[in-house]
Amino acid sequence: MRRVAVVGVGLHKYGKFDQSVTDLIGDAVGRALDDAGVSWSQIEAISSASSRSGGRGWGLNGNDIVRTFGQSGVPVYNLSAGCASGANAFHTAYSMVAGGVYDVMLVLGGEKLPKGMIQYAASKEDTDAEYVKQRCVGVTGPNVWALEANRRIAELGTTPETFAQVSVKSRILARDNEYARYRDELTVDGVLASPIISEPLHLYEVCPVSDGAAAAVICAEERLSEMKSSPVWVAGCAVATKLWGDAIPSDVAGFAGQQGLHHSEITGAVAKALLQAGVGVKELDLVELADNSVFHELQVPELLGMCEPGESDSLLVKGQTMPDGRMPINPSGGFLSFGEATMAMGIFQVFEAVHQLRGWSGKRQVPGAKLALTQTMGLGGNAAAIVLKS
Amino acid sequence: MADQADIHAIPDLMIDDGDAIRLVGSRCQNCGSPFFPAVSRCANPDCDNSSIVGARFGGQGTLWSYARQNYAPPDPVLRDEPFVPYVLGLVDLDDGLRIFGRIDTDDETQLEVNARVEIVSGHLGTDEAGAPRIGWKFRPLNGRGRK
Repeated sequence: MRRVAVVGVGLHKYGKFDQSVTDLIGDAVGRALDDAGVSWSQIEAISSASSRSGGRGWGLNGNDIVRTFGQSGVPVYNLSAGCASGANAFHTAYSMVAGGVYDVMLVLGGEKLPKGMIQYAASKEDTDAEYVKQRCVGVTGPNVWALEANRRIAELGTTPETFAQVSVKSRILARDNEYARYRDELTVDGVLASPIISEPLHLYEVCPVSDGAAAAVICAEERLSEMKSSPVWVAGCAVATKLWGDAIPSDVAGFAGQQGLHHSEITGAVAKALLQAGVGVKELDLVELADNSVFHELQVPELLGMCEPGESDSLLVKGQTMPDGRMPINPSGGFLSFGEATMAMGIFQVFEAVHQLRGWSGKRQVPGAKLALTQTMGLGGNAAAIVLKS
Repeated sequence: MADQADIHAIPDLMIDDGDAIRLVGSRCQNCGSPFFPAVSRCANPDCDNSSIVGARFGGQGTLWSYARQNYAPPDPVLRDEPFVPYVLGLVDLDDGLRIFGRIDTDDETQLEVNARVEIVSGHLGTDEAGAPRIGWKFRPLNGRGRK
């Protein structure tokens, strides 16, 4: 396998926009190309996350970008992995460049979703697993996160104020991030006064859907001399899916026999990426994780072994998860302040990590950051993890 | 207990069996893994000799956790108009199935993690034609779901 570097990143601000998803992605792609100092004709292949918007309804978003930038005949790989798609697309590109198929690849993802809860079941057939789960029960994303949060409260005693503090911390960081959608200050009282989405989670404790897009250019080591920017190395990059017997079944029912497995897709992907990188989880200078809710920002570091079960609460309250703390989490402001432009999230995290490792993050800078981990998770039991090194 | 004439949320997933309801699934005779809805192939990655037969699930179980859905979820979720919040849970049935379901309560503050529940049938909501639909639900034992 060859060494691979990220040489360019681009992000479109998150929010609600009138432009098409192709316009948003195109903006991010243009920024990534400029950042890398490469022209469109130098892109040898494209790995694209398949959005529910644009792409002719078939997730062909990479093809939409080719029509925008020029039909050079460039190969396009469109793929779907729920909210992990962006990072899975990155992994696909990484694998092909590391494996010698291509030298320079573009990774992209963007999303525009209608307001409100994400609608899950695309099929209305009685044999469709997602239809059965939604029709017979009605399990929304925030519902699952609330269920997990209630389990955490029972096992570890997390308080409503601690959950709310995650959102307060997110907004402190987003205030200094021009790309974030929500940048106004929040207080613990303000979070707890917002409407309850699914007890114990309030409106400001779950990530909303947003419009947004992100892109990255990656390159094999031997072509680096052609690039403008200094490289950030991909030290580890892995994809995993949920294990049989995980606490949260992907379908309406699963197997109750393997107690203790929880978010096995996340722990599986992160363990593989760290192994490739040859680093321990406690050596990481920062982690960008999928904070779909305040629950995740507390639970995931514990599942990954960054701290002991229950310890996330005190680390948060003591400010140790801020950029200048001993376990910096989501210095970008995370999903809670950006909202989820589902297909972009894995690449959005790479953008933040690359900026941190270049020392470009201003007031949000993790001092001396040299090693970063990004982690996504998606519907269907998907997850991906990327270790980046300066 | 819902009337047997009530329309099921999805046909053929559940049968009324006297006082109890049974979910129509399957089990692997080789490794014992339970499946609902029914499958044609064992999904246990460690089972190398799939041998699927029909199986029924029901009875009692332990509540892993629960949550209240406060806002109307999108289609195709069965719900009432105007929307009535519901509580759902994830339950480990004693016969080995871990399953999502609505909880037969309107006050989740009375619930506890690890509470014992039994599976029953009950109203889920009205369909697109305005007809009530039923499905499986979990009823806390000892009245309020206390351990």
